[in-house]
Amino acid sequence: MKPAPTLSTAFLHPAGQALPEPLLALRKQRGAALVDMPLPTRKTENWKYSSKYLKLTDEMASSLPINGKAGSALAVPGYKVVFINGMVIPEACEYPDLNNILIQRFGDLSDAEASELAERLDSTLDKKAVQLAGLNSARFEDGLVIRLKPDAVLDQPLFIIHEVTAGHSGSAFPRIFVDAGRNSKITLVEEYISSGQEAVMVNTVTEFNLAEGANVTNIRLSMDGENVQHIGATGVLQQRSSRFESHCVGFGGPLRRHDLQVRLEGEGAECKLNGVVVTQGTQHYDNHTTIEHVAPHCDSEETYRNIAADKSHAVFNGRIHIHQDAQKSNANMNNKNLLLNTGAEIDTKPELEIYADDVKCAHGATIGQLDEESLFYLVSRGISRREANVLLTMAFINELVAQIPVDAVKDTVQTHLNQFFDQTFQEA
Amino acid sequence: MLSIKNLHASVEGKEILKGINLEINAGEVHAIMGPNGSGKSTLAQVLAGNDAFDVTSGEVTLNGDNLLEKETEARARDGVFLAFQYPVEIPGVSNLQFMRTAVNSMRHHRGESEMNAAEFMKLAREVSKQVDLDPAFLKRGVNEGFSGGEKKRNEIMQALLLQPKLAILDETDSGLDIDALKVVADGVNALRSKDRGILMITHYQRLLDHIVPDYVHVLAEGRIVKSGGRELALELEDRGYGWLGIKDEATDADSALSNSAH
Repeated sequence: MKPAPTLSTAFLHPAGQALPEPLLALRKQRGAALVDMPLPTRKTENWKYSSKYLKLTDEMASSLPINGKAGSALAVPGYKVVFINGMVIPEACEYPDLNNILIQRFGDLSDAEASELAERLDSTLDKKAVQLAGLNSARFEDGLVIRLKPDAVLDQPLFIIHEVTAGHSGSAFPRIFVDAGRNSKITLVEEYISSGQEAVMVNTVTEFNLAEGANVTNIRLSMDGENVQHIGATGVLQQRSSRFESHCVGFGGPLRRHDLQVRLEGEGAECKLNGVVVTQGTQHYDNHTTIEHVAPHCDSEETYRNIAADKSHAVFNGRIHIHQDAQKSNANMNNKNLLLNTGAEIDTKPELEIYADDVKCAHGATIGQLDEESLFYLVSRGISRREANVLLTMAFINELVAQIPVDAVKDTVQTHLNQFFDQTFQEA
Repeated sequence: MLSIKNLHASVEGKEILKGINLEINAGEVHAIMGPNGSGKSTLAQVLAGNDAFDVTSGEVTLNGDNLLEKETEARARDGVFLAFQYPVEIPGVSNLQFMRTAVNSMRHHRGESEMNAAEFMKLAREVSKQVDLDPAFLKRGVNEGFSGGEKKRNEIMQALLLQPKLAILDETDSGLDIDALKVVADGVNALRSKDRGILMITHYQRLLDHIVPDYVHVLAEGRIVKSGGRELALELEDRGYGWLGIKDEATDADSALSNSAH
């Protein structure tokens, strides 16, 4: 029998070497660990619906020169870091000038700092569950460490813009590591965009460590180009009384995958995870989330909505794991799904695993279509069918859109939603 | 204005309307009464264009235009308004946004400029006062968590905002206490105009104490079996339907049937 292809045999092209020695060593070690790891197939439970869309490419997007100017990324006001094809573009960045918040490129770290970072990279993720994050660990060429000292507060959101530019194919492996000190506070916006039509693979890992009382808001906007495969992982470790809030908004593509893993390790920690996914055409989007209630008295609240049009396919897999000692956990997971056409498909799987006996857990998942009765009511008032469809579809998600705490992001999301409505609901 | 000729309609293969004939002129108020299951709500839904019902034969024109070949939204823009027996709750769409979209759709259709949020808010506040609805209801989801009476007042509010040519009121009086009934009746009376026809569907004659109709029709088993003036309603109140040879089953069959339309 022919051996199954593995991740390492699929990747022979070397990644860039402009990193401190301890990170190069880590990368090499992670690369070696991939040798026996098989590529996900439809028999791999957590890739069941998505493996067939996975097309790995060996070439690094960063190996090609960047032509012309980067697209829309540079227009964002405020603090920002711009990655193009997986590499930071220093002249496009605006860093906050605060002595208690440090933002460093991996390449600028001293050996001692890099060595400390190498110890901690991947510590927020369950490597078995997010196989392809291992690929990032073996292949990253650039990255950012964001450190907030105790009580540091970033006064405006920090935008991290990941752009792949026209004329580039291959893969990009940007990496972010956030260390939020005691009682610090930050809003981090990750925006994934493209200015070309090339078939690029973006493989990202973002890790958050929240010390006691830290407060982190992460907005993740997946608006990559129509031919981009996006495979992202976000890992979150929370200590006592910390708070993590996540808003993931994604538009579909040939393959979009996001794994979000949150570990509530300290008492009184809480997380709120909101997600909105919109797909059309033959697009595919797969969200896998895991919340580990490790410590007692933690709260988690998760609300995800999928909207699938045409022949697109959306997947939601939400797992809540309440450990034995996590008494008085309070966990709420809610996933609602809207099919706009009969050809669309949505698969949802809420998983609850509870080993403590004094907890409050609730989960619910529904799949439905736009309500005919509501539609009739709206058009009976002279509202066009198109407008009625838009009103009802927006009604399905507007609570989540309204909660996005940065107005500029909210506007961007609404603009993308309007484009989706224009393409999905034709005027009769 | 409205002319219904030999209208037959069925739902899921079962014939409900078996040849309705009715003429309503501008300025007239017609009341249709009848026992449960007689087809009153079906008539209202068919006129508004609910495609859960199949029109099998007959003709309906509004000011000479064939109504039946038009989509629901086109009928509404031509001036047909149905106050629903069971107004639909739509969480996530605010009442204000809904009403403004409706008013602006009509204005757009008439070639008028759209009302901006501030202009519409001012208008909506005035009209909500007219039907005694707290303006706070404008911010809530459409009919979301409204009591029965609040829903009915919200329907009348929409009629007042949209100023239809033909207002069809489907059991707008049901489920109302006497105070709410007066508010709703005042709203309907405010709609009375020489340019507008009103068709009221009701099970009880008590609404007709407050809104005096020009004509009363009795619907039974899908046909209008008797027509008369105001005095016919009083006679029905006194004598029931039996003297017309109609069984009043007084069951929930009518609501079962009308539910299938929803």
